[in-house]
Amino acid sequence: MASYYPEPTNIWESIEYSSLGTSIAESLWAFPTLETIHVIALVTVFGTIAIMDLRLLGLAGNKWTVLEMSQDTLKWTWAGFILAAITGTLLFTSKASTYMVNPYFLVKMGLLALAGLNMAYFHFVTYKTVNDWNASPVLPSGAKFAAATSLVLWIAVVFCGRAIGFTLGIYY
Amino acid sequence: MGDFFYGLTDWLRTTSLLDAAFWIETTGFNRLLVENFWGVPIAQVLHIIGIGAAFAATLMMTLRVNNMAGTSRSIPEVSARYVPWIWWGLLWIVASGMLMLWAEPVRNMVNGVFWVKMALLVVTIFVTLAYQKSVRSAATVGGAGWNAGGGMRLTGWFIIILWCLIMAHGRWIAYAPV
Repeated sequence: MASYYPEPTNIWESIEYSSLGTSIAESLWAFPTLETIHVIALVTVFGTIAIMDLRLLGLAGNKWTVLEMSQDTLKWTWAGFILAAITGTLLFTSKASTYMVNPYFLVKMGLLALAGLNMAYFHFVTYKTVNDWNASPVLPSGAKFAAATSLVLWIAVVFCGRAIGFTLGIYY
Repeated sequence: MGDFFYGLTDWLRTTSLLDAAFWIETTGFNRLLVENFWGVPIAQVLHIIGIGAAFAATLMMTLRVNNMAGTSRSIPEVSARYVPWIWWGLLWIVASGMLMLWAEPVRNMVNGVFWVKMALLVVTIFVTLAYQKSVRSAATVGGAGWNAGGGMRLTGWFIIILWCLIMAHGRWIAYAPV
């Protein structure tokens, strides 16, 4: 069968013109359906992270210990994140070369990396002493800083995600 | 399904909603939102943040009723933490939704998907109100060892499904021809 797509000139075009990429791009329902699942996954990630961050900031849920709150929310955060990553990757394949020149997409990826680093630092450094402040309503400044940074980064991720939709095709 | 939405949108075009949408487009606030490139995206970001807060709070309540999370706290304690976030979140969602509607009135008001979303929202509000009332009273009467019955547990998941349907319709508004 003849291909209607030009010969790819870089890796992003190779992804975009792959059978997976073109199937999603050409389908009437695939892209909106993936976007819908992406949004549901994203609000689950953002909402459960916000619950944990508000506890670390001492603004809500102070009756819960930090460990209890973490147990309640973390598995849902990860489930949402994995689903968002899978659907996000599939969305990316359909317009890979357009996304790769969009500054909001690149900034979003950078913000996600920063959110990951922030979480890793909190988990491997600040969280080591959690037993000392687990039940305290007032938490160490390191925990508060991680929570505030996380909230700001995730709101910025949501903003960039929306900005991509409004600027796709502007940049070449 | 597509025929249903097409027919509904076709009918909406014959109602006074079309005139109302055109009138909104003449208002200064509509101009302000439309002429500012970031007006609609920022309203959408606010909308998503509100959905995140209300949906996660609803999820935590459902998980507690199903004994899947928050079991270290009683149901009234979990309610006190999450129920205000559900209702304040909903208020936030409606307010940011109004901004989006005012910015793009034809796209929303003359769109079958939008009105099904609104119907689902109303159903969700009433089911949630009844659910929260029955859970609270049963948990108060039942005391610390109370466990929800199968119907109550399932209703929690039904509310989660309603939220997912609302979000799905919210996304598909953009893809429905007006």
